[in-house]
Amino acid sequence: MYLRSLNLRHFRNYTEQSVEFTAAKTILLGQNAQGKSNLLEAVELLSALKSHRTSRDRDLIQTDALAAHISGQLHRETSGDLELSLTLRANGRRSVALNGVAMRRQVDFLGTLNMVQFSSLDLDLVRGGPECRRHWVDGLLVQLEPIYAHVLQQYNQVLRQRNALLKTLKRENDRAGNLFDRASTSSSTSDSSSNSASDLEASSLSLWDAQLAVAGSRVIRRRARVIQRLIPLAEAWHRSISASTEALTLSYLPNVELLEDSPEVLQQTFLDKIRSRSTAEFHQGTTLVGPHRDDIEFTINQTPARQYGSQGQQRTLVLALKLAELQLIEDVIGEPPLLLLDDVLAELDLTRQNQLLETIQDRFQTIITTTHLGAFDAQWLDASQILYVKAGQLVPEEF
Amino acid sequence: MYTRPLARLIEHFQHLPGVGPKTAQRLALHILKRPKEEVAALAQALLDAKQQVGHCSVCGHLSADPVCEICSSPKRDDRLLCVVEDSRDLIALEKTREYKGKYHVLGGLISPIDGIGPEQLNIQALVRRVSQQSIQEVIMAISPSVEGETTTLYVAHLLKPFTKVTRIAFGLPMGGDLEYADEVTLARALEGRRELE
Repeated sequence: MYLRSLNLRHFRNYTEQSVEFTAAKTILLGQNAQGKSNLLEAVELLSALKSHRTSRDRDLIQTDALAAHISGQLHRETSGDLELSLTLRANGRRSVALNGVAMRRQVDFLGTLNMVQFSSLDLDLVRGGPECRRHWVDGLLVQLEPIYAHVLQQYNQVLRQRNALLKTLKRENDRAGNLFDRASTSSSTSDSSSNSASDLEASSLSLWDAQLAVAGSRVIRRRARVIQRLIPLAEAWHRSISASTEALTLSYLPNVELLEDSPEVLQQTFLDKIRSRSTAEFHQGTTLVGPHRDDIEFTINQTPARQYGSQGQQRTLVLALKLAELQLIEDVIGEPPLLLLDDVLAELDLTRQNQLLETIQDRFQTIITTTHLGAFDAQWLDASQILYVKAGQLVPEEF
Repeated sequence: MYTRPLARLIEHFQHLPGVGPKTAQRLALHILKRPKEEVAALAQALLDAKQQVGHCSVCGHLSADPVCEICSSPKRDDRLLCVVEDSRDLIALEKTREYKGKYHVLGGLISPIDGIGPEQLNIQALVRRVSQQSIQEVIMAISPSVEGETTTLYVAHLLKPFTKVTRIAFGLPMGGDLEYADEVTLARALEGRRELE
């Protein structure tokens, strides 16, 4: 797919800006804090309706403006020319449109523009906490199966409700001072003693358990499926980049074990685990079982990459993951996604740079931000469109 | 910009759901143009509605009488009970003119985040109703949201010892195209499939 142009209005530090992408590779050159990454962020928003830099729409809207507007002209091999537009408002309301037609549900908009983003922050995939890896897999899943956004949102809603209930129960128990007695309360409706109110609540907890297991199982099965497909790709890329000196293994560590690929079995395992952890949950007043506690493990030559890997090894690993992501999206979607490289090329050594550039060639439309052109191959520069970014404005190449 | 009483009127309109600053201004200016009697009638209607409309003691639907029209109607089937979230849903179902049974309005959904547990809802009265009358079927007609689903399961669990509990089907909208339905809706529609007659 090819993004022909991008239009921004009151977005971050851009008041009004149009960009035409005239080559397969575009280099955005400029000093720090001029707006290079903001441009990539706009593309990310059109793709995922989410930014990895902020979750508050207010941050995306230019100071003093009421709304920000992003639109783009996309060409897809499968569905031809498409116009995507997104309006973000200071009051938090968003609207999306495809070819000028407003979409009632955001799910219908997701998955139109596919991209892989690679920034220096991605080292957190190795070094950061489990939530970094969960976000990464979730983001990939939304691109491949947009309905996953809905699946995940449902799970999070059940989780929030269940946590609120656990907190209430804990507060009541703390007041009553008899933790275990209440924790074992089962539903008894005919009973109308003085604490029938919390009996009711305790019995509604078991309903939230059931809901959590159903929604959570959907999340786990989809995550397991995508990671299964990613594993051979990532491991192959890693072998190739490290010239077969290192062996990467990637494995999904779901909080609730996926014994066999059946929703019923998984839901039962889920419920059993909730039961076994119920005392701890009552103590802590929060949900301890479920995919919000999943992790993904990377090992290099049988040692966890997080502790063992050197900077260089961690970079190789992230690069392998990104190349695998690129390949998987292309396989599933049937055409190459966009690649956004945020300040990352300069951080790679020459071998890894070449590996990346070779893979991209002219097949993937690539938008690159950098503060200097020194690290780029001359041939590569010749084939690229270079735009200068200065204080929220784009200017064509000039000296 | 606005003289004091006008500003106050606009502000009050703005507190209404779905009304922004522009609509509020338009409504307020419209009021000023109308004859005095009409405005008085509107004010009286507001007060009357607020003072006279309460909840039906049987089903919880909005009603000026202690027992609402539906509950006291002899034409309604006593053996059929439909459970809804609020009066708005009841009115939507009534508009179909398909349903001849009676209703029970819960007055909300179980939502621990908002501090709403089963005891805040009109559930005990429902259990009493179902356990004491000869009701053949209770139809759960509650939106399939996370909260709606939990409430449905909860109420069904309580009522099952007394009667048959069913739920309305969820699926494709009329005139909808199968290929444009999302997979969650399709899965639900598949779950609720029926044999062709």
